[in-house]
Formats: sequence, C-alpha cells, structure tokens
Amino acid sequence: MVYVNIHNKLIELKIVYYGAGMSGKTTNLIQLHQGLREQHKGQMVSLATESESTIFFDFFPVELGQINGMSVRLRMYTVPGQDFYEASRRLVLEGADGVVFVIDSDPAREPANYASYEDLCKNLKACHSAIERIPVIFQYNKRDIPRALAVGSVEAKVGFTPLQVFEAVASRGEGVKQTAQAISRSVVERFAF
Amino acid sequence: MTQDNNAAARAELAAILDSLVSECALRTVALVTRDGSLVTSRGDVSYLDITALAALLGGMFSATREVAKLVGEKHFSILLQQGEKRHIHISLVTNDFMLALIFEDVGKIGMIRTVTRRIAGRVGELAAMDWTPSADEPASQEPAKRSSEFREYALDLIDRIFSP
Ligand SMILES: Nc1nc2c(ncn2[C@@H]2O[C@H](COP(=O)(O)OP(=O)(O)OP(=O)(O)O)[C@@H](O)[C@H]2O)c(=O)[nH]1
Ligand SMILES: [Mg+2]
Repeated sequence: MVYVNIHNKLIELKIVYYGAGMSGKTTNLIQLHQGLREQHKGQMVSLATESESTIFFDFFPVELGQINGMSVRLRMYTVPGQDFYEASRRLVLEGADGVVFVIDSDPAREPANYASYEDLCKNLKACHSAIERIPVIFQYNKRDIPRALAVGSVEAKVGFTPLQVFEAVASRGEGVKQTAQAISRSVVERFAF
Repeated sequence: MTQDNNAAARAELAAILDSLVSECALRTVALVTRDGSLVTSRGDVSYLDITALAALLGGMFSATREVAKLVGEKHFSILLQQGEKRHIHISLVTNDFMLALIFEDVGKIGMIRTVTRRIAGRVGELAAMDWTPSADEPASQEPAKRSSEFREYALDLIDRIFSP
C-alpha cells in the first residue's frame, strides 16, 4: 500500500521479492544494495538463520530523492521461501505495491517454483489483494545452472502472464538491477495521489 | 479551515512527542506503522538508523500479534525489552500504529505507562490523518496533473539510480 506520510513528508512504495526457498531472493537484495550509491540506500536488515536462510525478511530502503517537496522511498523486502515460514511470508507480503517472483532455474526445483506461485496467490488473497491487481514481474534466476528451466515454462504451467520477465544470475549481480528497475517503474506508473 | 491541515497535524504530533520525551526522560521516541514504516520520530536519532529500526519494529509488531493469537489473545498491548543500559517500551496506539520509546532510566517506567496511555488516542488520530493537498506543499494542483508530474519525476529518478 502506498503510504503518504504527512508527518515526515514522505511517500513510500513497497516491493516484495517472493519465491521458493533458496531461489536467490536474498542474493538479489544483497547485490542490489551493493550496487547502489551511498546516498540512495539505507542500512540493510536481514533476519536469517545461521545457515543463511531468511527466517523473517530482508529489508532496505532505496531513497529516490525529493519530488515536489516530498521524499520518495522504495522499501525492498524479501520473504522467507522455506515452507514452514508460511505465516511470516504473509506478514511481509501485506501491503506490497509490487512483487518480483524469483524462479529457481534448477530443474530439480520446478515443483518448488509452482508451489511458491500458488502460495503467493493464496497469500495475496489473504491480504485482500490479487495477483492481477498489482504489478508482478518474473525473474528466472540461476541462469548459470546447466539444463536450466526454459524461460516461459512457469508462466505456461501456472497460466499467468507477468508484466515482464527477466533472466538473472543474481550471485554475479547479472539482471539484478534490471529487475529492480522494472518493478520500481511499474509500481510508480500505477501510483496516483 | 483555511489553515494548512498537514502542517497543523505535523506540529501537533511533534509537540505531543516532544513533551513525552522530556516528561519521561526518553532518549528517542519512534511512531511506527504496523507495516514497519516510520511515521515520525523525536528525541535523539543520531545514534541509530531509524528506518531500519522501524522495519524491525514492524516485524516485531506483526510477529507478536500472531503469537498473541496463538495463545488466545487479540494482541499484547505492551512489550518491554530491558537491556543493560538502554530499554525499549513498545505500546500499541491503535491497531495500526505503535510507539517505541527508548530510555535509560528504569525508574521512569511507571511514568511511561501513564503518559503513553494518556496520549494514545490523539497520537492515533494524528498518525492516521490522510495527506491533503495544501498550500505549503507545492503539489497544490489538481490530482491528475499532480500525479502525472510526480510519476514523470519518479521514473526519471528510478532510471538514474538503477541504470546498470
Ligand atoms: N548458481 C547460482 N546460485 C545462486 C544464484 N543466486 C543465488 N544463488 C545461491 O543460492 C543460494 C540461496 O540464495 P538465497 O539468496 O539465500 O536464497 P533465498 O531465496 O533468499 O532463500 P530463502 O531465504 O530460504 O527463501 C545461495 O547459496 C546463493 O549463493 C545464481 O544466480 N546462480
Ligand atoms: Mg532469503
């Protein structure tokens, strides 16, 4: 939910990276954070287990700057992908203005991708939203993996057409900024106040 | 009322929180949405990253609410975390906002309880106030023009910040 804060003269938009466990959501955020100039980013917060799986969320703010006397901020979040963090995923998703669905291109993770998509739809409903109502972008991550899933295969299987589709190797930072730029643009394009 | 609503609300909330800070000898007070956005903060914020704090408090807020539900409560209205030197008192203002008070003098807890309870109603109203176009904010044009101009600027900033 776009939040226009009169007390801090601030407009905030929330972007959530969703997807199966280990698909590379946290890696996207870390790489994005590293790639931005100091004046455009705030501290990154990660709530993770010792084995690096996200347990609640990762977060950092992107400061776009001032427009007409208001500051504009994008709030970037990841959800925990592992099955048993179901309740936390819904909490983080609440109020999302846009979603990046991170697909693991490892063929062995095909079922996990589908399950995560179903879970996304279910949780959007629980947040009184729907996958058709907010911008959703698909990112096929881990394109460096041999016999990677065909781009387009997930859309075909789940019967949904995202606004845009990107390929990425998040661990090398490839496709990370492009994905973030596209979802940020889509979210802003729909914004009215 | 021809007065600027936003500015009046901003000033009133700031004044309420400033007197909370001095009455209870607080280091910092942060008013945070359930979603982890900072509504505003007063007191000293130089020693911490207030945006990160708000995001974490938002997480605590929702996690605590779920924990409350699991044990058969609607919510826990107060959380107190005691450290060695600094402590944090978190209280629900309404269902959507919470106040986080950072302080060093444990002796102030009674006072903190009383004052936060007293101001909760008004703070909740002010926090929930919608932005209204007004003269002190340049976006005083009609909504359609304001929005399209905003989008144009924002897209330009996004392209500059994220361009690889
Ligand atoms: N080969 C390859 N590995 C990647 C890529 N991106 C991320 N990884 C690795 O995949 C593993 C999981 O990455 P994370 O970013 O922690 O995954 P996540 O989606 O945040 O996982 P959860 O927090 O459990 O939901 C890590 O070991 C990463 O280094 C990629 O593009 N290629
Ligand atoms: Mg993660």
